[in-house]
Amino acid sequence: MTGFIECRNVGKTYDSASGAVEALRGINLDCAPGEFVCLLGLSGCGKSTLLQIIAGLESASDGAVVIGGHELDGPSPLTSVVFQDHGLFPWMTVRKNVAFNMKAAGVKPAERAARADELLEMTGLTAFADRYPHELSGGMRQRVGIARALTTRPKALLMDEPFGALDAQTRGHLQEELLRIWESQRTTVLFVTHGIDEAVFLADRIVVFSPRPGRISAVVDVDLPRPRDPESAGFMALSRSLRHKLVPDLQGAPLG
Amino acid sequence: MAVSALEAASVPPIVARARQAARASRFAPKRLLGLLPLLALLVAWQLATWAEVYPPVLLPSPERVAMAFVVDYHDILFNALASVTRVIVGVSIAFCVAVPAGLMIGRYRTLDMLSDWTIQIFRSVPPISLIPMALLFFGIGDKPAIVLIFLAALWPLLINTIFGVRGIERTLIKVARAARASEWLIFRDIILPAAMPAVFTGLRLGIGGGWLTVVTAEMIAVKSGLGYMILNAQLTFRSELIVAGIVIIGAIGLLADQGIRALRTHVCRWQEGLTAAAE
Repeated sequence: MTGFIECRNVGKTYDSASGAVEALRGINLDCAPGEFVCLLGLSGCGKSTLLQIIAGLESASDGAVVIGGHELDGPSPLTSVVFQDHGLFPWMTVRKNVAFNMKAAGVKPAERAARADELLEMTGLTAFADRYPHELSGGMRQRVGIARALTTRPKALLMDEPFGALDAQTRGHLQEELLRIWESQRTTVLFVTHGIDEAVFLADRIVVFSPRPGRISAVVDVDLPRPRDPESAGFMALSRSLRHKLVPDLQGAPLG
Repeated sequence: MAVSALEAASVPPIVARARQAARASRFAPKRLLGLLPLLALLVAWQLATWAEVYPPVLLPSPERVAMAFVVDYHDILFNALASVTRVIVGVSIAFCVAVPAGLMIGRYRTLDMLSDWTIQIFRSVPPISLIPMALLFFGIGDKPAIVLIFLAALWPLLINTIFGVRGIERTLIKVARAARASEWLIFRDIILPAAMPAVFTGLRLGIGGGWLTVVTAEMIAVKSGLGYMILNAQLTFRSELIVAGIVIIGAIGLLADQGIRALRTHVCRWQEGLTAAAE
């Protein structure tokens, strides 16, 4: 294997009151440097659990995760996480939130301030730097989350349904911005989503999960040229085929 | 990345409005409504003394009490200062012990298991019931009073701090862990500020409890302070000094509470517009 992020036979079993629950089984995944990979699946298929394991926030019960050649033992300095509910500290201004990861990494205050300003500029948040998170809209909050994740120049961004709580218009806007950032920074992106169109729009490669126990049921390379047009025939054909790959899990229920 | 007009426009206007309202209401005439019951009480009191419901020896008139503030201002000031100093010392020590302990207990499950029952038992003991013991151990003087105030303030501070830590959103701790923040940074930048509103609730209750305790303790364990002054006034049949003492106790209580509230608003300004405001 030559991937930047490698999962080797990763499994996860939780102990619950009603007995052991197997959340993940036999996950083998390999992300090349600079690759944009979407983990696609319905709720409860273990895709978020896998991301948490890769982020070092949970431990695998089986197998191992290797990032940049080192076996994972807790959060890696090479990765940054963007959380679904943005995870901003309500008592910190936007500027302080953006600087937090650098503070945690021991970056000097002067350097912190300069880098934070740079990222605020890049994400269009300069005018909101001294606001508190609750004074921002959902889309702007997630921009802060992304800016914060980028400050430490991570080799990989781990994104856990980052746009799931946003309205369609804002989501589309942020997807485009994310692609622009990804293209300019050339970071690896691991992106968890349950949106088929979102995955097709963003990913180089889509890893499809199925539940009980969570496992990889298909891996699909997306060869559509960028920027992608959701109205194009190729886009719609791929969406349709992915829908069919997910449907068996739904046992015939219609997908929105 | 440019913020679209759509996004910028969706900044919740309710936040801006809540801020304006909060700023305005602090000085609005509505605030003066709080004086109404006090005025009514004063009028009732005046009427009662005119009608001589009780003999003047027992129930002094408002003017006589007002005079007591003039005649005995030195006594009142000295004793009020003694009481306030004791409360400040006792509550400060309690704060320095309870907040760090509460942050630790709230964060670490094992410490919680270890301390939970003990806290629940000891917080049920009214500090006043410990006066006899405090006297035996420390004799008459400042020491027993301060120890009792410390105990009165300790439990509300401790319990509220623990409660504050428990209320932290789990994602926020995850954010810090994912960023490889040290445990010290997690305490200082996340757990402490997140618990701050609850710490202030604890402080308000602690100061309230400490103030109640100091007056009682001074009636028994010390030879100065407002509690002592009131008891002494009773022995010398100076009912106007008793009432003056009660008035000053209440006034200081109100002042302390307002002070803490103002401090809380300042320290926790990030909460402005986050919590529900009463209609």
